Amino acid sequence: MKHAVTPGFIAAVGLFLLTPSLASAELIVWHAYRGGEKAAFEKVIEMYNAQQADASTMAKPLAVPYDAYADKITAAIPRGKGPDVYIFAQDRLGGWVEAGQTVESVDFFVDDELLDSLLPGMIDAMTYRDTIYGIPLNYKSITMIYNPEVVEDPPATVRDLITVAKQNTNVASGNFGLAYEYSNYFFHAALMNAFGGQVFAPGPEPVIDSDENISSIKEMLRWYKTEGVLPDDPSAALIASLFNSGKAPIVFSGPWFLGEIEEDVPYSLAPLPTVEAAGGAPMRPWLTIEGVYISPQSQDIDQAYEFARFLVSEEAASVLALEGGQLPTNQAVYAQSEVANNETLAAFRAQLENAVPMPNYAEMTLMWSPVTTAMNKIVKGSASPEAALAEAQKKVEKDIDVLRTSR
Amino acid sequence: MAETTPIATTDSLAPDAAETAVQRRRMHPALLGALVGALVAVSLTALFRGQYLDATVTEAQHRDLIVHSMALADMVGRVEAADRSVSATTLDALIRDWQGEFPELSNIRVLRLSGAQLLASTNPDDAADKALPRRLTRDEKQIFDLAKSLSAAVDTNRDEGVSRKRQILLDSISDDTLAISLPYFLTDGGKVAGMVQLQKRLEPAAMPAGLISGMATLVAIGLLAFAACAVLGPRNRADGRPWLLTGVVALLFSLVFLFYARALIGTGAELSSSLTEELAGAYQAVRESAASIGGRYELSVGSERVNRWDVDAYQRPYNVIDADGRILPASAELAAARAQPFVRALWGNWVVGLGLLAFVGLGFGRQLLETIKEHRHAYLYVSPAIIGMLILVFFPFFYGIALSFTEQTIFTINEPITEVWAGLSNYISILGDFKVASQTAQGWVFNYSNFYWTLFITVCWTVFNVSIGLSVGMALALTLNTKGLRFRSVYRVLLILPWAIPNYITALTWKGMFHPQFGVINQGIQMFGGSPVAWFDGVFSSFITGLATNGWLSFPFMMVVVLGALQSIPDDMYEAATVEGASRWQQFRYITLPSLKPTVIPAVIISVVWTFNMFNVIYLVSGGAPAGANEILITEAYKIAFEKYQIGYSASYSVVIFMILLIYGVFQTKVTKATEANI
Repeated sequence: MKHAVTPGFIAAVGLFLLTPSLASAELIVWHAYRGGEKAAFEKVIEMYNAQQADASTMAKPLAVPYDAYADKITAAIPRGKGPDVYIFAQDRLGGWVEAGQTVESVDFFVDDELLDSLLPGMIDAMTYRDTIYGIPLNYKSITMIYNPEVVEDPPATVRDLITVAKQNTNVASGNFGLAYEYSNYFFHAALMNAFGGQVFAPGPEPVIDSDENISSIKEMLRWYKTEGVLPDDPSAALIASLFNSGKAPIVFSGPWFLGEIEEDVPYSLAPLPTVEAAGGAPMRPWLTIEGVYISPQSQDIDQAYEFARFLVSEEAASVLALEGGQLPTNQAVYAQSEVANNETLAAFRAQLENAVPMPNYAEMTLMWSPVTTAMNKIVKGSASPEAALAEAQKKVEKDIDVLRTSR
Repeated sequence: MAETTPIATTDSLAPDAAETAVQRRRMHPALLGALVGALVAVSLTALFRGQYLDATVTEAQHRDLIVHSMALADMVGRVEAADRSVSATTLDALIRDWQGEFPELSNIRVLRLSGAQLLASTNPDDAADKALPRRLTRDEKQIFDLAKSLSAAVDTNRDEGVSRKRQILLDSISDDTLAISLPYFLTDGGKVAGMVQLQKRLEPAAMPAGLISGMATLVAIGLLAFAACAVLGPRNRADGRPWLLTGVVALLFSLVFLFYARALIGTGAELSSSLTEELAGAYQAVRESAASIGGRYELSVGSERVNRWDVDAYQRPYNVIDADGRILPASAELAAARAQPFVRALWGNWVVGLGLLAFVGLGFGRQLLETIKEHRHAYLYVSPAIIGMLILVFFPFFYGIALSFTEQTIFTINEPITEVWAGLSNYISILGDFKVASQTAQGWVFNYSNFYWTLFITVCWTVFNVSIGLSVGMALALTLNTKGLRFRSVYRVLLILPWAIPNYITALTWKGMFHPQFGVINQGIQMFGGSPVAWFDGVFSSFITGLATNGWLSFPFMMVVVLGALQSIPDDMYEAATVEGASRWQQFRYITLPSLKPTVIPAVIISVVWTFNMFNVIYLVSGGAPAGANEILITEAYKIAFEKYQIGYSASYSVVIFMILLIYGVFQTKVTKATEANI
């Protein structure tokens, strides 16, 4: 009996001892893609693995549900339990850098060749306190999505937009010429940027109640209150249903919206209009840029960087764009005829000419709740833009002071 | 084994009792208490004393190395500022001269951030493969990252006007070697241009011995306590608590401990002042060397009128040693401030010692010991469960409570919690802020983020929800309990459905139904000629949306509980009541309700706790609209932790919630005697 057990036991121990050494030759990659994006991403990883002829280091993707993704990264990586490489938008970067142990600096690796291959401005989103922490992989921004059966020529200026929108507005029957989440600051930022406003000045110091921000909100209120072309209380679900039922021919939204358009509803894309009240400056939406980050606990940071580098190569970008419908940060891919001829990709690429990366400061998280409250008050008319923004500014300043204490 | 155990237990009782009697004759509990208390207090004190003296010596060693390094970094910055094209050669000579002047220094390295250039180094490994200056190789990435992080730290502190990131990093790489990394600047107040690293061999520091004073304290307390017992003991031997004797022993203990503590604080102060003198001497030496070596390279250093080199890890000057090496009066204040934690620890140890003394001296110790002995098998059996609970329940619980006494935020998440200790300040700011409403030109304005407002909303929320859930649930249960009801199981399944659907789906559905233009509720109101209501604009209407959603979610639970209880009431009670001529109402009032009580009360208690912390409905339906007025305590705590990143503050919020629920639970159980059935 005893002898029969021993070989099995030794084999088990041997397997147990072998497992870590096998695992260390793998690059675990976390992402939150689903559907077509996931398929394209996994195909790119297979392409990478096929290149590793001697099978030295294989990348292994793991899809993590989006709603738990950020918390998983925050909890797992500092304790050495997470992936080698992970993909996330830039908005959490500042917090992760400040908390420490979550994201490895890649500043040392980044060379001019990589920088030249990227679309302009992309690396800024991955830079925090002058240090580069990730490689930008793809970007998303809002743009104008319209129903070409109703709107023949997409309006290029706000004046045209309002004219077209008024023709298609009939409050009694629930028709609105324009629909977007105007009370959500992420969407409002396009107008704010047109006026030259910002939420944080470098430092970062909050400048929420700046004159530019107030003017931009007054312009939005003009569309909503004076011209009356926008629906009340705009939620994402409502906007999708309005567009699908033909009750709102123009919406401002991002690539995620395209998946919600029903098959029999035609759509076209055009850049956001220019704003006369802002001296003819174009609306410039916030960009969210997904970056490839490396865990400081990775066993092979060098190899992880090479993998990240492959993800932003032209061949990988081409697959991600054409099969995953993503907007890669690789510059050269947009010259490929297949990508250039894809109306959606080309339209978002055109919008990129007028877009700014959303700030990646840790303090951004503090801004959302007070600013959302302010926007709701303003839209509902219970406070003037000046008063509501001043209150938000005060709250954010107070919360930031609590965080910044000398040791 | 199992059979012999009870016999062994009964057997061992008799000798135990005899032994106890012998012990009682030998040693008075007050003497034992004094010895236990003194032993614990003195050992703890010895431990903290060691830590305090270590910290004092370590700080002096750090400051000494910082002075040497700051002077060098100053010179490096000047060389780099003069002419960057030839600076590498000059730097190489400079650092070799510096190392020659101070032989305890080694491995000096100068890194220029721009281009990741390793300019000069006295580390033989750095120049082994390739000549300097050169770009760092990939293997040396962490050196570059370190320099970058110093640069970011300087920028952060400067931009934010605070000192929260270390600008000088010190690291003990072995028992006798200390490494330092610090930035150098081209101009005062300019950007970080690069990093200087060096290592220093440490001399073993002479520590004042502490064993004798500790032993002497122990012996003194023991002797005095023995004397006190000898004098007062015979009169205090009666059963019960020897209050007087214990009090006298406690007094003697305190006196001796006070002398001991004073002596220790004195030792610390002496050590600190001798170290400061040494440091002042070292500073003078560095200054003279810097002047002479700097002169060789035409650098004007060593003649400053202020001491800029004696700084802390945030590069804030200590201002305790003057530029000419004189020790300033502020030095004593600094030493006193550094001794503060130790003084606090001494007070703590005194309290711990006194507590133990009283516990043992008054006879509680023996009681405890006897209880454990008597039930030792029971304790043995439950120990796995106790250990599991300790790790899985009590550790996180007490960690949360500990966090609530800190000011931990995302910026300090990697600091040990003792570094961010804030005492009761979180609780004071939560519970002490009574500015719920203020009068302005527009009338009364409520401060919706005030704790008492949120508590008020939470209590209203709980009371209304549980009332709705209970009344609707009971009404439906009574209806379903009707005899001969057809399709009863169909109704039952239908009515349980709201409970079966995940509550966030229900919550989002209700949110959609309350949409002002397109929601089904406003559509219905309009259909009957009413005007639409902007549900989320008003405090009250927004409250109603949450109430409706949670009412929908909570009645099935109550219905199921009540239905189960109804079916367990025996029919003959109703039959007897009918025979006695009781009306339907009387039957309900005197049979049904009392029989439901034992089942319904615990369900109400649970339901109150659930509703009190019903995060999903508030967060998803109204989101606290308008302007956070309808936030409940738990959603507020979430926002503080995950939107404002104030983790410590949020933990205190959670502890307050816990205390409220604890008090409620105890009170409710006491008042209603929930677990007692009426029959």
